[in-house]
Amino acid sequence: MPDCTVVVITYNDADRLPRAVRSVLGQSLHDLEVIVVDDASTDDTPRVAAELERLDPRVRYLRRGRNSGGCGAPRNDGMDAAAAPYLMFLDSDDELPRHACKSLLTEIERTGTDFVSGQIARLYEPSGRIQPYYPALFRERRVVEGIAAEPELFLDSFSTNKLYDLAFLRRHVLRFPEDIHYEDHVFATEVYTLARRFAVVPWVIYHWRRAARPTSISQSVKDMDNVRHRVEAAFRSDKVLRDCGRPELVPERQYRFLRQDLRVYLNPLPARDLVWAKEFASVVRPYLATLPPEVVARVEPLTRVCCALILADRVEELRVAARSLTGAGAPPRTAVRDRGRTYWGTTLSPEMDITTLHLAELPFTAARLRHEVSELSLDGDHVALTVHTYDPFGALPSDWTAFFAYGGQRLPIHPRPSGDGLVSEIVFRPVERGDPRIGFTRSRDGLTTTDRLLVNPGAAPVEVNGFSVRPSGHAALLRVVFSRDRHSIARRVVRRLRAELFRRLSTPRAKLRVYKALIRVVPRRKDLALFESDCGKGCTGSPRAVYDELRRLGLPVEVVWSVARNRRDFPLDARLVRRLSWRYVWTMARAGIWVDSHGFPLDYPKPPGTRYLQTWHGQGIKSIGFDAPDLRADFAAPREQWRRAVDRWDALVSPSEEFSRRFVPSNGYTGRVLRCGTPRCDVLVRGEVGPHVRKRLELSDDRKVLLYAPTYRDSAKNSGASVRVDLAALAEELADEWVLVLRTHPVEEYRVPEPVRHFVRPAGSYPEINDLILVSDALLTDYSSVMCDYAVTGKPMVFYVDDWDDYRLSERGVYDDLPSIAPGPCVTTTAELITCLKALPAVHTAFADRYAAFRETWCAEERGDAARRVVEEFFAPPAAAKAARPLLWGTP
Amino acid sequence: MSTASVSTASVNIASVNIAFVCMDADTLGGIQQVTHTLAQGLAERGHEVHVVGLHRAAEPFGYVERPRYRRHVVGRGPIGGEGAIARRLADRRLAAVLRGLAPGYAVLTSPAVVPRLLRLLPGGVRPIGQYHGSYQHARGSWHLGSIRRHYPRLDQAVFLSEDDALLFSEHALLPNTWVLPNPLARWPERVSPLTTPRVLGVGRLEGVKRFDRLISAFALASTPPWELHLLGDGAERERLRAHAAREGVSDRVVFRGRVAAADMAAEYRRAALLALTSEHEGLPLVLLEAAAHGVPSVAFDVSGGVRSAGPELVPPGDVRRFAAALGELMGSPGERRRLGAIARRRAEGFRLDGVLDRWEAMFAHMAR
Repeated sequence: MPDCTVVVITYNDADRLPRAVRSVLGQSLHDLEVIVVDDASTDDTPRVAAELERLDPRVRYLRRGRNSGGCGAPRNDGMDAAAAPYLMFLDSDDELPRHACKSLLTEIERTGTDFVSGQIARLYEPSGRIQPYYPALFRERRVVEGIAAEPELFLDSFSTNKLYDLAFLRRHVLRFPEDIHYEDHVFATEVYTLARRFAVVPWVIYHWRRAARPTSISQSVKDMDNVRHRVEAAFRSDKVLRDCGRPELVPERQYRFLRQDLRVYLNPLPARDLVWAKEFASVVRPYLATLPPEVVARVEPLTRVCCALILADRVEELRVAARSLTGAGAPPRTAVRDRGRTYWGTTLSPEMDITTLHLAELPFTAARLRHEVSELSLDGDHVALTVHTYDPFGALPSDWTAFFAYGGQRLPIHPRPSGDGLVSEIVFRPVERGDPRIGFTRSRDGLTTTDRLLVNPGAAPVEVNGFSVRPSGHAALLRVVFSRDRHSIARRVVRRLRAELFRRLSTPRAKLRVYKALIRVVPRRKDLALFESDCGKGCTGSPRAVYDELRRLGLPVEVVWSVARNRRDFPLDARLVRRLSWRYVWTMARAGIWVDSHGFPLDYPKPPGTRYLQTWHGQGIKSIGFDAPDLRADFAAPREQWRRAVDRWDALVSPSEEFSRRFVPSNGYTGRVLRCGTPRCDVLVRGEVGPHVRKRLELSDDRKVLLYAPTYRDSAKNSGASVRVDLAALAEELADEWVLVLRTHPVEEYRVPEPVRHFVRPAGSYPEINDLILVSDALLTDYSSVMCDYAVTGKPMVFYVDDWDDYRLSERGVYDDLPSIAPGPCVTTTAELITCLKALPAVHTAFADRYAAFRETWCAEERGDAARRVVEEFFAPPAAAKAARPLLWGTP
Repeated sequence: MSTASVSTASVNIASVNIAFVCMDADTLGGIQQVTHTLAQGLAERGHEVHVVGLHRAAEPFGYVERPRYRRHVVGRGPIGGEGAIARRLADRRLAAVLRGLAPGYAVLTSPAVVPRLLRLLPGGVRPIGQYHGSYQHARGSWHLGSIRRHYPRLDQAVFLSEDDALLFSEHALLPNTWVLPNPLARWPERVSPLTTPRVLGVGRLEGVKRFDRLISAFALASTPPWELHLLGDGAERERLRAHAAREGVSDRVVFRGRVAAADMAAEYRRAALLALTSEHEGLPLVLLEAAAHGVPSVAFDVSGGVRSAGPELVPPGDVRRFAAALGELMGSPGERRRLGAIARRRAEGFRLDGVLDRWEAMFAHMAR
């Protein structure tokens, strides 16, 4: 007896059937059988299947006498014929990855469950790109004790990505309905309901191949019968649940319909014509009418608005609303506000309430405008657009200027009032790729807001100058892309070859080799200094303070700043060099002075004669240097590399006794230590901040400012995982009194969700953290070194330490017990945090003694003159240096 | 995983061909020790076994006195610094060894071996990838990315503990995980009387072993006549000596240097406790060896492998609680004997014979 039966159903698919069958025969599980069930194909299938049967004895071929018109009947036939204890289904246009059968078999034997479900992934045919379907459902490998424990899994209604215990199916006489498409939806509902336990595995076990030209049922969403069958499947699934005595699960299955089935048609709805949309609404309406209001209320606001429009048969508005579901989530054309609530359209009915999106409360730079392109055409060798702009939330002031921009291009436009909005005529000649936006700049303060352009999804692309201006995505956003004509493809190939050649020649290895040769022959220039802060990410920190002091004193030192790719906000008078470019390599070799806050490229040895001032960029409780996780793994190379990098330092700025005690030994540094305070903190001691900061961050005087600056997690950089406070809950409670400035760590990436944008100002890329410290009224952090800088200001601090044990013991490691030294309350839930913030003055007073002790430890030497002292100590007058060292600097 | 591997533990399997492929098969190290123990054990059961080193060891170490398996070193130089031509010649020699193996199994002992071997594997030789570290260690280095990329293509991906296998199956999306623990090469007849007031720390004196934490915990917990003996050598020795002096226990921390494998049994018999404070561990043999000698252990809970060996567990990095656990056992000979006896019973599960049964069960599973 084989271990597993795989039922492959097919109909008129002789070309692809062998691929599907071969994917089963090539499984790492050898002991299996394949049953090919042919739904009375009229093509070459019988011959192809017979050949497969002849080549491998594990293949059996069953042919139905009459075509059933669906997938249910052939699957049932295969199920009846199966000889193994376990069963899987495969469609003839899809494939099983090599370990699918054996991994599921092992899992069902290990867990003793009724079935095992695994990740299904779309495989897009021309490109071979694989995209997992709802990966969050499968992320954890687990046993589920019945669907009631995780009704979310109704989202996975496939029959194919599962291995079933055949005894379980037969015991319950589980079969596919044979008279509808989406028979698997009903089958899956029944299987979920009857299974006492089932297992879920996270790896991909089914490749759902999506051909370039749609052929299968699931790809023909335009077909109205497709909608009818899906709705019928939903009705029957609800009935199955009631018949099985599980009415409490019906709302969960209905919720799935709103989140999944309905969206299959709503997302592309903007591309359908009015007649289709009208018929669609009439087909779906009977089912939607059965849904209790509390189920509809669970779904996100814009889908809820669409449901209401379908029920009210307001189809034209439905097409307008559907454009907000995908892409950039366009705002409505009109909205009304009443007693603090915001409503989609013009009616004040509760199902049109979109208040929770907070679209009406956004700051100007994040404001949402709806730009609809009503005409896209070719005008000579230019593209002509007519754009209708709607301002549903009254974001535009009376005085503004407007522009049209894409890629790096920008041209002024002159929208004029027209009916319920503005109309712009735009004529441009595309010269690069990009996503066009229309921007409005407020004359009063120069702030700008921009939004994407919606275009008619059916609009024909306009081809000009090797570019194509066209709609993209379901929401049909306007986009400028390369044309597919031969001329522009050839041009791109040449450009890419040139870039590739350059890339091969200027590898990091080649640069390092050239550098090492250079420093042997090129003399140092003692009046040339290379400055770098945070690996070129900004012109900030202590190097910046030292630079400003040099300029103030007018010392004869020429400074070049290192700047990373795509960085702005460097002072206009500074000479810049891109980090790790050839010019940078040359400057490193030539400069007699290096100043930085993190570390110049670690593998670059310091040339003889160069003097290196290491200012470092923070102090605090986190473990550092050889105690930090990246140097604690069982590899010697990174430790050696860091040791050599530290050996390059000639002077290290130490802000405190504590820093000298911790940082210096844990990096194995033995050189000169400058105890002058922190140049970076001088401005904090002085406490000045320009009015431009409040303006740029759009801070109004009626809200207090909470600076939220969490540090990164070593195991989850660039993941957004460091933002652990529940921002939505915080906004709910505090938005009337506070605004939150979110400063994520430079190695972190986080996108603020739009529903909290009214409360949160993203400041991860704001150029100067000192501005944020000075402009804020309180700090919220976890373990970041910013707490030591912030203490200089004496303003309140709150610490969100929900993962303290993990962080201190395994994630990072720390030197101090934060909860016992923190100069403010340490909280572990957002609720506690809200309580603290509401009573902040009293809480801050209660921590006065701890605050004083904390300042004594970390900030005792901050007197506002650190930069001056560092310059005095390190940049000694050149004359004195000459006297002390008669030889020319740097000549080897 | 466990049910499948244990239930079929007593299968009788026909003789198979197996090649263990290491980056460097003969240097002194944990992977190598395990590999040679398994190779000899499987060879003694009648399988045809080869051990292949991709590079030459600078200081080769003889693990097995009379090997019943064949050894090959295909590279002429040590790891790194090999030219393109030398590499191609080595690949050719490697391909020849593998061709002679078919049908059979190639056991790739570390992530660095896998991509190189996958290019050379002839049909009929089924690749098995091992990982000797913990998930936590892989996560912090290039290993996790490499495992995620290459291990799904292998016929089996083998980890040291159930917990690690689960984590890799979730985070590296591996459909082919299996669990095989490291074996104990020898089973001692005599156990430690646990009367000498001595705590053992065994391992290379390198950063990853974090003996500084052990010294701090020992200083917090102990009074004379208790001593801490560190067996092993490495770059951190002087730093650790200075650390012991700072902690005020330099007279009771004894740096013993490297101890010959043959003398280790005697060391365990003269110990009352073993302590493990590493940052990362896979399934450390020292925990198993100590347990086999009836010596109880205290360890940071850093991996599924450490948990499976059954020491007294302390949250990773928590020196105070480590000291408390050590102190409690130092103060109670009765508790030491009780835990020592439990440890020895648990170590039975890692005896070579049982582990070899599990290897053969895996071959049977692969043949399904």
